[in-house]
Amino acid sequence: MSVSIAPPIPERHTQYANHGLLSFFAAIGDYSSAFFGHLGRYCSVMWWMIRNVHNAREYSRNIYQQMVIIGNDSIPIVVFVSAFVGMVTAVQSAYQLYDWIPRAVVGSLVVKSVLLELTPLMTALVLAGKVGATITAELGTMRVTEQIDALEALAFDSISFLITPRVLAGILMFPVLIIFGDLVAILGGLIGSVTVANIPATAFINGMKNSFETRDALFGIIKANFFGFTITSVACYEGYFVEGGSEGVGRATMGTVVLTCLAVVVMDFVLASVLL
Amino acid sequence: MIRIQNIWKKFGDKSVHRGITFDVLDKQTTVVLGRSGGGKSVLLKMIIGLIKPDAGTIEVDGKDVTKMGYKELRALRFKFGFLFQGAALFDSMTVGENIALSLRRHTGWTEKQIAESIRYALHVVGLDNVEQIMPSSLSGGMKKRVGLARAIALTPRYILYDEPTTGLDMETADGINLLIREMRTKLGITSIVVTHDIHSAFVVGDRFAILENGATLLTGTREEIQNSENEEVRKYINSSLPIQDGRHS
Repeated sequence: MSVSIAPPIPERHTQYANHGLLSFFAAIGDYSSAFFGHLGRYCSVMWWMIRNVHNAREYSRNIYQQMVIIGNDSIPIVVFVSAFVGMVTAVQSAYQLYDWIPRAVVGSLVVKSVLLELTPLMTALVLAGKVGATITAELGTMRVTEQIDALEALAFDSISFLITPRVLAGILMFPVLIIFGDLVAILGGLIGSVTVANIPATAFINGMKNSFETRDALFGIIKANFFGFTITSVACYEGYFVEGGSEGVGRATMGTVVLTCLAVVVMDFVLASVLL
Repeated sequence: MIRIQNIWKKFGDKSVHRGITFDVLDKQTTVVLGRSGGGKSVLLKMIIGLIKPDAGTIEVDGKDVTKMGYKELRALRFKFGFLFQGAALFDSMTVGENIALSLRRHTGWTEKQIAESIRYALHVVGLDNVEQIMPSSLSGGMKKRVGLARAIALTPRYILYDEPTTGLDMETADGINLLIREMRTKLGITSIVVTHDIHSAFVVGDRFAILENGATLLTGTREEIQNSENEEVRKYINSSLPIQDGRHS
């Protein structure tokens, strides 16, 4: 991509630094213009990616590689987190229920909480750190070592080559990871119920069966699509436009983790409000 | 032919270029000399449209690069090979894959033809049997050679060299200088070399453009530069020459 498609980010003005209220409004103006500058550039990159998505077929090997990195390589951490999320949910549910409430309710609570909220959210937050940071650091290093310029000099469309496969892999693999996480979390809930809360396995399974609804699982998968897109696209954007050498790469990586975690929780609320 | 006319460029408050003008003649090596941080690398990136100037024109074979759209720019880039300062090899790929990348993407060649082209390009730059090595295992000089092999793989008309000898010892730098000369004498490639190393410049260059304070101080042949009466040029040449035994070489 030539830099021509990317609008410049406004610079901060410091001439009001020592003028009390003026400096306050100047700071608001600076941050607002910087925010909208980044938003505009992010949107232009996404538009470029969508408009040239047919190019991604030519880089199918990249998509496969990214699916392995984002999906396959994330399975251990997703299994670990999901198992404990399931166990904790089961144990805390059992603790909060009065003795006269049937123990099978624990199974219902676990399956509802896990499918609707806990697995998608926890997995996304963990992957925001793992996948997001990896993508930003990788693309950022490519930027500061002129590898992205080299791709452009070799007449490649660097956005289609670098960003499209990562974003598509994120959209495709996050749902797979969350389905996997759901299964492990429910299994973890069963183990937690039986071993710690002394709930019979049959009671847990009956409760789970009674409250399971396909739309709950679908809701989690839809959320996963949104989370996958947001985490990978923001990480790619941050890495692709890194400035300032290795320090800039570090700053961008940290920015990705913070930004994607915030985006995930906000999006979680918005999707719950709209879809439930 | 490349014609650079009255190029202006600012980054923030800093003016990098203030009216750079010079021509690059066909089948000659033009060396752009100037102090570090003087915008020489930016100028190279402008020639292939990676950076747009604020004002001025850059004509490649009669077409203005500054007015080109993305598709035209991609077509233009087929004419160019670019050797980046740090070679900019893709560190997740082997040497062979680095060179094969553009061949697979832009030619309809078979894998056998691509393998032969890789071997030939590496042979031209004096490297054999390194296809399977990762860039991280190469020395600085070898990286530059692989970068050059990648640049010539698609048989470009022009090669742009960004500080090709920076960070190399004298012997390795001489080897790179020899390669740059061979690109012109053997392959007939037009080259632009950006450097602040005046020793290398005089080894590889046919014509020279000296930049000072963002503008073109002087353009001309080696003799014209060496015999220039311009005090700034004399000062630049004398201050840039390496000192040996207490005297400028």
